[in-house]
Amino acid sequence: MAPQLLSSRTFKSLFDSVDTFLFDCDGVIWKGETLIDGVSQTIDLIRSKGKNVVFVTNNSVKSRRQYAEKFRSLGLSSVTQDEIFSSSFAAAMYLKFNNFPKDKKVYVIGGEGVLEELQIAGFTGLGGPEDGEKKAQWKSNCLFEHDKSVICVGLDPNINYYKLQYGTLCVRENPGCLFIATNRDAVGHMTDLQEWPGAGCMVAAMCGSTEREPIVVGKPSSFMMDFLLQKFGTDSSRMCMVGDRLDTDILFGQNAGCKTLLVLTGVTSESDLLEKGNKIEPDYYTRTVSDITKLMDSPSK
Amino acid sequence: MLSRSVASAVSQVSSSTSALLPNSKQLFSFKTLCGYRSSSFCGGSIRKINHKPLRMTSSNMTTRAMASKQLENADQLIDSVETFIFDCDGVIWKGDKLIEGVPETLDMLRAKGKRLVFVTNNSTKSRKQYGKKFETLGLNVNEEEIFASSFAAAAYLQSINFPKDKKVYVIGEEGILKELELAGFQYLGGPDDGKKQIELKPGFLMEHEHDVGAVVVGFDRYFNYYKIQYGTLCIRENPGCLFIATNRDAVTHLTDAQEWAGGGSMVGALVGSTQREPLVVGKPSTFMMDYLADKFGIQKSQICMVGDRLDTDILFGQNGGCKTLLVLSGVTSISMLESPDNKIQPDFYTSKISDFLSPKAATV
Repeated sequence: MAPQLLSSRTFKSLFDSVDTFLFDCDGVIWKGETLIDGVSQTIDLIRSKGKNVVFVTNNSVKSRRQYAEKFRSLGLSSVTQDEIFSSSFAAAMYLKFNNFPKDKKVYVIGGEGVLEELQIAGFTGLGGPEDGEKKAQWKSNCLFEHDKSVICVGLDPNINYYKLQYGTLCVRENPGCLFIATNRDAVGHMTDLQEWPGAGCMVAAMCGSTEREPIVVGKPSSFMMDFLLQKFGTDSSRMCMVGDRLDTDILFGQNAGCKTLLVLTGVTSESDLLEKGNKIEPDYYTRTVSDITKLMDSPSK
Repeated sequence: MLSRSVASAVSQVSSSTSALLPNSKQLFSFKTLCGYRSSSFCGGSIRKINHKPLRMTSSNMTTRAMASKQLENADQLIDSVETFIFDCDGVIWKGDKLIEGVPETLDMLRAKGKRLVFVTNNSTKSRKQYGKKFETLGLNVNEEEIFASSFAAAAYLQSINFPKDKKVYVIGEEGILKELELAGFQYLGGPDDGKKQIELKPGFLMEHEHDVGAVVVGFDRYFNYYKIQYGTLCIRENPGCLFIATNRDAVTHLTDAQEWAGGGSMVGALVGSTQREPLVVGKPSTFMMDYLADKFGIQKSQICMVGDRLDTDILFGQNGGCKTLLVLSGVTSISMLESPDNKIQPDFYTSKISDFLSPKAATV
């Protein structure tokens, strides 16, 4: 069935059929450091009607704790760390659930968020933003040391050749080395004014040199959904995934059997959604999250 | 100026992924120049590289049924062709060290009247700079005989009459800049952009020049987020902007001691952010083969491609319809060649090119 524009009638039936709303963040709640209009009131309204609210973001630059701070600084102080599921957290949980030995080290091509989540989970993460200052030496007889057993790749605005080389050698030469990607989003709204290359870029760089595919822990992979379902003990059919990106958010929701709602405040426009080549169709779409507030109050037609 | 036959050879290849140029009738109607990539065989975990196979211009690019034969009669091979195309890293030299027996071998082939050509995917140097490297190593090689992927990028732009009033953004090293300059193209970027930082903060908008008509991506040790974003903006927002890759080698031998992440990494990054496939001018794409066949008036069946890498050198030769000889003096070992995962079988293999000097039964 083609995606339906959310109306007061369809909204009421959607709202009554779900207990939990899963929200993506970039392009849905905020754009860079700017809150999208009306979001705060809408989240409060949804909670006041007895529904649960959870935030699932592929952006691995921050930890859950840092995201809770961001929510607070934008005026959404009702959001707690326990309601936030970032791909940085997912990477650490993946290693934990797979009983990855705590004495082995992880090399991080990404932000502080991943390093912090690894530390909280009891792992040793090295690399991260400070390796943005390092330069490789290509002298004869000078070997590049590389002893890590996991390479975790996420969004990294401090990407450089040193990190690519480090990660490449570990994956190609250290037996059993895991290659994990927090996510593969091509671009995102890292600032409010334009899109920027996402983790998909760094991950593809590593695929290009290692000739291997990574284990992806973020959307649309089901890892975070399985984690959420287990944690909340809920049925995916009673959940609605709200996101701005078809190939991560909407696919993530569909793969698990959730209802899906696309908003147009992020990377996807109405014409992107409706064009012939698009194969991913959410159940519903609407312009912005705050339409939920308008539709809640308006009489059903 | 390159003839239209090369242009039309290139136009036959296609893939469905990249955006068509709006004025493609004036230039080419092709979509990509990706080389066909088979599964990797680099040891450790193997994966199938996710390229769409390309319709090749001449030879059948599917797996040759016959396993590669050890070269036993070098004279017979030498007599059967007019031209030898040599890869450089792992065939002629390793890092800055000449491989044993190379000067005598090249001299012998020249004495037999064979044309010698050197084709390398390494884009860090220009042809002139490679000429100097050959000279330093005591080899008698003319700049006109050298075809680096840096040269290929410039030659490609010339072949499609890329307008001289448009600019080229370069994510790569000096070799590319030098070749573009020689060909009369305006460029931006290169190693200097490695110093540029960006700060992702509210209200910050990264601008980019709207007259950039092509982004050329190659091996780049000064790679950073600024360049990735600049290239991405040009490709996504400048109508008809070309996305050209010098090559997609996963790893390269920068030093003789170990492998280093190669151009495939930088190109991968741009593919990841633009979700477009590039036009690849280096091996295994046949662009350089078509160029030099046209330039020197050689029949491809009269060429033997000699290289150390199966998924670039040997595939390049096979795609071009040439004879192929793998040498084991570089990145490929005999076990990699014989592995069941390997689908690329050269006609012959031998330990190094100086095996040509002992015409019969060189030991591997």
